[in-house]
Amino acid sequence: MSGAGTTPDMGPGLSGRLRGAAGALLHHPGALTGLALIAVVLLPALLAPWLGLPDPAQTEPARRMLPVLSPGHPLGTDHLGRDLLSRLVWGARSSIAVGVLATLVAALAGGVLGLAAAWLGRLADTLLMRAVDVLMAFPYLLLALAIVAALGPGLANAMLAIAVANIPFFARAVRGAALDIRHQDYIAAARLSGHGEARILLAEVLPNLVPTVLVLMTTTLGWMILETAGLSFLGLGAQPPAADLGSMLGEGRAFLTVYPRVAVLPGLVILVLVVGINLLGDALRDLIDPRWSGARRRSRGGQPAAGSPAAPGADLPAGSDEGLLAVRGLHVAVPSAAGPMDAVRGLDFAIAAGERVALVGESGSGKTLTALALMRLLPAGLVLRGRLRLGGIELTALTEPALRDLRGRRLAYVPQEPLTALDPLFRVGFQLDEALRAHAPAQNPKSRGDALIAQVGLDGVPQLRRRYPHELSGGQRQRVAIAMALAHGPDLLIADEATTALDVTVQQEILDLLLRLCAEGRRALLFVSHVLALVARVCERVLVMYAGRIVEDGPVDAILTRPAHPYTAALLACSPELGRPDKPLPAIAGQAPAPGSSPPGCPFAPRCPRVQADCRAALPGLDRMEPAHRARCLHPVSRTPGERAR
Amino acid sequence: MTGYIARRLLMLLPVLLGVTLVVFGVMSLVPGDPALAILGPYATPERLAELRAELGLDQPWPLRYGHWLADLLAGDLGRSLSLEQPVADAVLGRLGPTLLLAGAALLLAVLLGLAAGLLAALRHNRATDRLVTLAVLLGISLPAFWLGLLLILLFAVWLGWLPASGMTTVWLDDQGWAVLPDLLRHLLLPALSLALVAAGVIGRIGRAAAIDVLAADHIRLCRARGIAGHRILLVHALKGVLARIMPVIGLQAGFLIGGAVYIETIFQWPGLGRMLVDAIAARDLLLVQGGVLVLAVAYVLVNLGADLLQHWLDRRTRAA
Repeated sequence: MSGAGTTPDMGPGLSGRLRGAAGALLHHPGALTGLALIAVVLLPALLAPWLGLPDPAQTEPARRMLPVLSPGHPLGTDHLGRDLLSRLVWGARSSIAVGVLATLVAALAGGVLGLAAAWLGRLADTLLMRAVDVLMAFPYLLLALAIVAALGPGLANAMLAIAVANIPFFARAVRGAALDIRHQDYIAAARLSGHGEARILLAEVLPNLVPTVLVLMTTTLGWMILETAGLSFLGLGAQPPAADLGSMLGEGRAFLTVYPRVAVLPGLVILVLVVGINLLGDALRDLIDPRWSGARRRSRGGQPAAGSPAAPGADLPAGSDEGLLAVRGLHVAVPSAAGPMDAVRGLDFAIAAGERVALVGESGSGKTLTALALMRLLPAGLVLRGRLRLGGIELTALTEPALRDLRGRRLAYVPQEPLTALDPLFRVGFQLDEALRAHAPAQNPKSRGDALIAQVGLDGVPQLRRRYPHELSGGQRQRVAIAMALAHGPDLLIADEATTALDVTVQQEILDLLLRLCAEGRRALLFVSHVLALVARVCERVLVMYAGRIVEDGPVDAILTRPAHPYTAALLACSPELGRPDKPLPAIAGQAPAPGSSPPGCPFAPRCPRVQADCRAALPGLDRMEPAHRARCLHPVSRTPGERAR
Repeated sequence: MTGYIARRLLMLLPVLLGVTLVVFGVMSLVPGDPALAILGPYATPERLAELRAELGLDQPWPLRYGHWLADLLAGDLGRSLSLEQPVADAVLGRLGPTLLLAGAALLLAVLLGLAAGLLAALRHNRATDRLVTLAVLLGISLPAFWLGLLLILLFAVWLGWLPASGMTTVWLDDQGWAVLPDLLRHLLLPALSLALVAAGVIGRIGRAAAIDVLAADHIRLCRARGIAGHRILLVHALKGVLARIMPVIGLQAGFLIGGAVYIETIFQWPGLGRMLVDAIAARDLLLVQGGVLVLAVAYVLVNLGADLLQHWLDRRTRAA
């Protein structure tokens, strides 16, 4: 994702964003839990001098190792008779102070270095970043250890060592963020309006770096506390009689088997504190720096929709002459903030064996969802209703293994984007063999693969099987995808915008290939496209979709020469035609209705040039115009009595 | 692939040179007279003068660094005062156990982290995912040394199942492969304490990577071709996730090498980490220097390995 997320050019100012984040924090369950855990440790530590606790360094050998709940010592005493509770509170105070201080030092020094690298030009950047690379080539605990070894043990030295070891991390992150900011428009604008570099740095860059640095500090504070505690645990940090949580753990280790609580309790306090800090850090990162929440945003709730088959005995008599594919009452609901909304609303159509059908519509009309629904491959969270019968088998009633058996064997799919159709990490030959083996166990896949390669016209490409997808052109990749789709001679091939991402000349080649392969094998084709002009070449019949419904269904020449629905006519008017480069291409005015909004009447009415009062009253039915030509329109373009065809 | 390896090896040289410079530089942070710091307050003036000459303290630092580097390349890291033997011998003798411990921990961490990450991604936003996310949070927030103590308490002290310290049982005089079961029994607890934190980090990154990969088009296309679900997961998704998290695995190796210092101390593991702690306590600076250098070089090499593996998994990566 781009770095623009860190520094929205037009968003509210810094203080506004921070205030917004602070407000959002109070509604974020993770942040609240984190704050609560931190408070449990931090509040007593802050208030330690006023809590009336016994002196944590006061030894009293006569009262050593008192058990929990002894009078005056709620958590008992340690091996020198010191009050454990008091030592925990004071130790936490020292650990937190050292961790915070180390974070501040690292952030300040790293910030200055990172900013210098980003702002002082090439040479400074190269030198500083090489140095950072070298320091990061060190396991940083080891670097801290070496520094403590040189400076000598002690809490201040340990703090310094941890801070220094973390400077490279901050420097690199701040440099990245500063470079992002540097390339933003408002910096160029500030330059153009004549502001000096120093002013730009202070007024524009620094404030925008604050959120990034704040997130970095919160996410590293936990580590810093763990690491200083670690050095103290090894006896390199706090020196007796002073103590932090780490050194308490280290001292308690000697009595681990007999008095485990002396060592276990300080560790528990560290754990609570660090869990709290990490929870808060994650929440802050989500709220301030959207770059990190990618995975979260992409997430979709719930299960892949298992589809509820319609009630048995609905309007589809089994075994009737329904052709190869019969779709009845297909709905696809997509989740939205206001609950599930139907993006596909009651589709009915059939495809005969060997028939080539186009499904055409604007983006957002629901055609790709329909294609995925037919494969039963809708993304998780989308819900399918209705009936899908393929050769008499009810697809919505099948289990995943039964579906797997159909996919690739009787039903195949060629996707829109050849770039992502193949796994980038495997050679073409491997993926081809895998597709072949999916349904026919190891029957000489090599020669069958070669035959497929020849079939899609790739036999001239040297070493094709040994290549990776990124070593092929878009057209070649699409041919490979088609070869894999044809591996088992499917009855129905669904090509979902299979030529959209390709160059025009390659488009034609792929179209011819699809046509040839389907015609040769008597394969049915469902060709999904948003370009009506493309389909004339390949298909016999056209289904036009608008706002989740079929609005016109007819033979290809009827649709192309005398469309009935005004929407089809408009689509035709804006399709480019070969040989007519000067043809004006008017856009269809207005916008398709948002999914879920369903005012009464024809959904195209607001954009329709032929709209009349009755269009807004009720949704027209899909009426027969000619024996094989249906349209969902009260005032069709060419067929209404008293109106001439255009 | 060959070109990539050559470029990557070439890039190694400046990094290694930089590492030696840092190790050398850190030791010049020693306040006051390094000879006095090394020999302690009771050294004779003659011995001090001798050591000063040996360390070349009267020369400017680039010259000193040159001599030190030349000695280093000849395998001479100086002489340890606390162990009374050459630093190189002491360090190399302790390297094996540390590599064994860190290697075992890395393996455990990758297995646990990957399994947790994939499981959470498969059950995204469901109870299993939340449970794994919570476990991962605990993992990255745990002090490794505290976890080690808890494991000793549970498995060694209370249950008595596993030994709490050392690498071998002293009184067993098995030879060859016969030592293996005993070694593994000793290895299990320290490797686990070291691995869990790294497993948390790998699990966290692995989960995000797996969510991404599982949502990718080519995974859906595999399903459209009728390829079995377990094969998609274990071949396509796993390779995709591994290729993405390989750099993180390399970084975790650094954490494990550092963490080995605590764990070796707690479990009395005879490795470099424990030697370093002892050397720091004894102010044996040359030994510290040698130990740090060897561990840092090991880390650089592990990261080289991670980069090469990543390129092997995903040929689109380039040497930066």
